[in-house]
Amino acid sequence: MGLEQLMPAIAGMTWQHLIMIAIGGILIYLAIAKNYEPTLLLPMGFGAILVNIPLSSALTQIDPATGQAVEGVLNVFFEAGIATEIFPLLIFIAIGAMIDFSPLFRNPSLLLFGAAAQFGIFLTMVLASILGYDLREAASIGIIGAADGPTSIVVASRFAPNLLGPISVAAYSYMALVPIIQPPVIRLLTSRKERLIRMTGNNNKKISKKALIAFPIVVTVVAGIIAPSSLALIGFLMFGNLVRECGVLNKLSLSAQNELASLVTLLLGITIASTMTAERFIRLDTLIIIALGLFAFVFDTFGGVIFAKLLNLFRKEGNKINPMVGACGISAFPMSARVIHQMGQKEDPYNYLLMPAISANVGGQIGSVVAGGIILTLVPLFA
Amino acid sequence: MTSTIEVALFIAGIGMAGIFVFMAVFYLLILALDKYLPHEEKMEEE
Repeated sequence: MGLEQLMPAIAGMTWQHLIMIAIGGILIYLAIAKNYEPTLLLPMGFGAILVNIPLSSALTQIDPATGQAVEGVLNVFFEAGIATEIFPLLIFIAIGAMIDFSPLFRNPSLLLFGAAAQFGIFLTMVLASILGYDLREAASIGIIGAADGPTSIVVASRFAPNLLGPISVAAYSYMALVPIIQPPVIRLLTSRKERLIRMTGNNNKKISKKALIAFPIVVTVVAGIIAPSSLALIGFLMFGNLVRECGVLNKLSLSAQNELASLVTLLLGITIASTMTAERFIRLDTLIIIALGLFAFVFDTFGGVIFAKLLNLFRKEGNKINPMVGACGISAFPMSARVIHQMGQKEDPYNYLLMPAISANVGGQIGSVVAGGIILTLVPLFA
Repeated sequence: MTSTIEVALFIAGIGMAGIFVFMAVFYLLILALDKYLPHEEKMEEE
């Protein structure tokens, strides 16, 4: 009886499997030791180990005795939760329940940075198509720039499920690395004088409960009329927000923010790992996607900052926008707002950019979902 | 320039314009909601 019969997992182990197991270990290390998005990176890292041990029963395998496929639990979760988009949409309910839109009501003009900072998505999509990816794959890679895990998963699972693994790893890793990615880009694009701009706003303005309740309903209707394909994303986000704001579903709101978010995140992370098999992951494509993901984040920051500088050309002294706030238009909430506030404080300890930064950051959360919806609408028309 | 790149550029242009249109509409929505559903101190406290 040979090694193949006695220890089939060891007999079947290749260097690619070992690399993937090491990658899983690195993701777990980043999650625990560095606290980089542990809610996703830890399950993904552990899942990568689980699926890269040969003949793992966590994945569908062919029974050599009968020739029949024996379904693996991760494949069941994938078909039930990712292929159907249920997991990311449930997370959108949780995210919606966590968002407070009142900063946006106090500084509504900062909503536009939620648009400008999606620039990296589309530029990356163009670059990916130049590098030879087809339109669906290019769009799935570009959506890493949404800085929004569920949106990236919805778009990638619909257009390029074969690339879901590297896209998810890139999206969640770069969201955790926002404090490292954004500051050098911002410093390169702005002068010290610009970084010292103080922003006054209606930070103490009170927002009516009725307005906060009407907002998610009206946004859903308007978004649905303009782009029905975006309704699943925007609608579930706004549903979660309505549950939060209505004031009569406090238990449901708390459950959405806590139990629902935790349960689905747990399953989502380990299920995405089912696509992180050695055959799919150890390819030049993966490195290219990870590089393009970084490109997307850099040019998101570029888009937001440059848009702020452009607006400042038309604004009077005393009413200028601090260009760093433009960079908060990405969806990485509240990380980006905190980073920009800290950068502002370093330049001038009496410059409090947190409230406008949060307003722009909340705008970014809407912007990323809208970007995802637009891509879901436009790409099928051409590919 | 291949057709894929051309289409990607087209989608990029429409996409960016579309996001700005969406956000401009939401901006106007916020202004309208704030105007027609203002915060009322007494009613909110009740």
